[in-house]
Amino acid sequence: MTKPIEGEKKVFMTGNEVVAWAALAAGAEIMYGYPITPQNEIMHYWTRMAPKYGRKFLQTEDEISAGFTCTGGVLAGKRAFTATAGPGNTLMQEPMSMAEMMRIPTVLIVCQRGGPSTATVIYSQQETTMTCYGGNGEGFRIVYSTATHQELFDYTIKAFNTAWKYRFPTFVLGDGYQSKMRESLSIYDPEARNIEMVRAEPYVVKGGVPGENRDPAHLRNTYNMEEELYEVIMDHAREYEKIAPEIIEYEEYECDDADVLLVAHGVVSRAAKGAVKELRQDGKKVGHFKPVTLRPFPEKELLERAKAAKQVIVIESAYGQLDKLVKSHLYGCSTPIAQYFRPGEGITIEEVVQETKKYL
Amino acid sequence: MQKRVVEAYIGEYASGKSENAVNRALELAREGEKVVLADLDLVEPFYTLRPIKKLLEEKNIEVIAWETQQVMGLGEAGSVLKPEMRWVLKKEGNIILDIGYGVEGAKVLNLLEGFQDNPHLKIYVVVNIARPATATVRDIVDYVQKLGNVDGLINNTHVGDDTDVKTIQEGARVVTAAAKELNLPVIHTTAEKRLQGELGVSDICGNPVRYIDRYMPQTFW
Repeated sequence: MTKPIEGEKKVFMTGNEVVAWAALAAGAEIMYGYPITPQNEIMHYWTRMAPKYGRKFLQTEDEISAGFTCTGGVLAGKRAFTATAGPGNTLMQEPMSMAEMMRIPTVLIVCQRGGPSTATVIYSQQETTMTCYGGNGEGFRIVYSTATHQELFDYTIKAFNTAWKYRFPTFVLGDGYQSKMRESLSIYDPEARNIEMVRAEPYVVKGGVPGENRDPAHLRNTYNMEEELYEVIMDHAREYEKIAPEIIEYEEYECDDADVLLVAHGVVSRAAKGAVKELRQDGKKVGHFKPVTLRPFPEKELLERAKAAKQVIVIESAYGQLDKLVKSHLYGCSTPIAQYFRPGEGITIEEVVQETKKYL
Repeated sequence: MQKRVVEAYIGEYASGKSENAVNRALELAREGEKVVLADLDLVEPFYTLRPIKKLLEEKNIEVIAWETQQVMGLGEAGSVLKPEMRWVLKKEGNIILDIGYGVEGAKVLNLLEGFQDNPHLKIYVVVNIARPATATVRDIVDYVQKLGNVDGLINNTHVGDDTDVKTIQEGARVVTAAAKELNLPVIHTTAEKRLQGELGVSDICGNPVRYIDRYMPQTFW
């Protein structure tokens, strides 16, 4: 069968198509999905391309089912994924909690939209808390927040590897703007960049004899005793903390001598970066810190930059979801933290420049 | 009097239908012609003509499009055909139709009164080979065959701000080859005005080049 992408090529796409092509390039075997704006074209393009490249698709009756069938596909050893937005993400928290508990490497692409509830279908960063910590659990999951189409492509591929390597559910946190925006990027066959895809393997119906030549596949998410649950959770916690330093990713822009540090994630970091560029031209000491992984969070790295700055400003299209994350990780740092919250609204370079000037 | 222009721009999602339609309407308006430009995208709430409706009206184009505040649940519920849209082909003067995306989007034409028997109507497929779903001759031929009756292809190959002449010429080669197989003409190649000096009046395959300004980046939402 021909590869979806040979080598590398420059293309012009919407973010949703980027995700579909990245999943194809990553060798995803099946997508489970239920339609919701602004996620739909991930499904549209996947279903258009899937037959051509021998991939599969299952449309379920709702997002709970899409999430659970996705975990089922993974248990059967398939490199599987799903994608959703807004209230669909709410419904998927139940299966994703199960994935967290049972260490099932699901991949979920989130195209954030405005809430609470159905709200508007366009854009927001209001699914940050839910994607990081949703469900009844401790948030043992990996969340990549992307800002450009190139990142969307790179991290969708990476999400499959991170999930299968560490066996925690992995999320790519995009948003409606990224879904619909059009820009150029390079798409590639992972092999062309020496990216080796981590092999998917079945959790159930394994070969061999349990107890003799392999461990039994003992899959549970139900525990009768508090002590049992405690033990499992603490195991997960220790494992998560151990692998965190290998997973953490962040980007710094002009942070070295920054007096004012702008913290933003996802698409908003484009405005933050643009503002820094502009303010630096006027000789202002401004820098931008972008956490790429929101879970695990680049705590040590942000703390170091925040301590050296005189002011931190958290900028987001939500009412304090990134702010909450930042504050919890900056505990003990005495640098003042200001906020610029535009829940459900896009943020421009001009706005960030204007806001930042208040602290210069 | 110049021949009446009635053109519908259809094609793959994000291929550049609106940009070509807008520029065509502006070109006619500049020549002092009466022009009606209709936004017939019933699916996609992004990159439609709504945000630049006023701007186009100031440039003497009659724009038939919803305004954001007039509609409810954009993108979630789809939008309904404005009554004026259904009757747009009965308007006088030149008519440019910007059609919603893909094969399904093109079916909106069936909803227009007089679509079957309008003698002037030309349907053009806008193709950008930097869109992977229409990257090769084979892909384009297969795609265009799904669209029903069409009258020509437009090579709109570009990669946004990173576009160079080489990209456009490669597009010209592929689109021209596809057009040949489909037995259709290439109406023109589209390029941004900044490339005019380098690209000249026709592309490598001899198709005329139509130079445009980009309006659609302003229309994201």
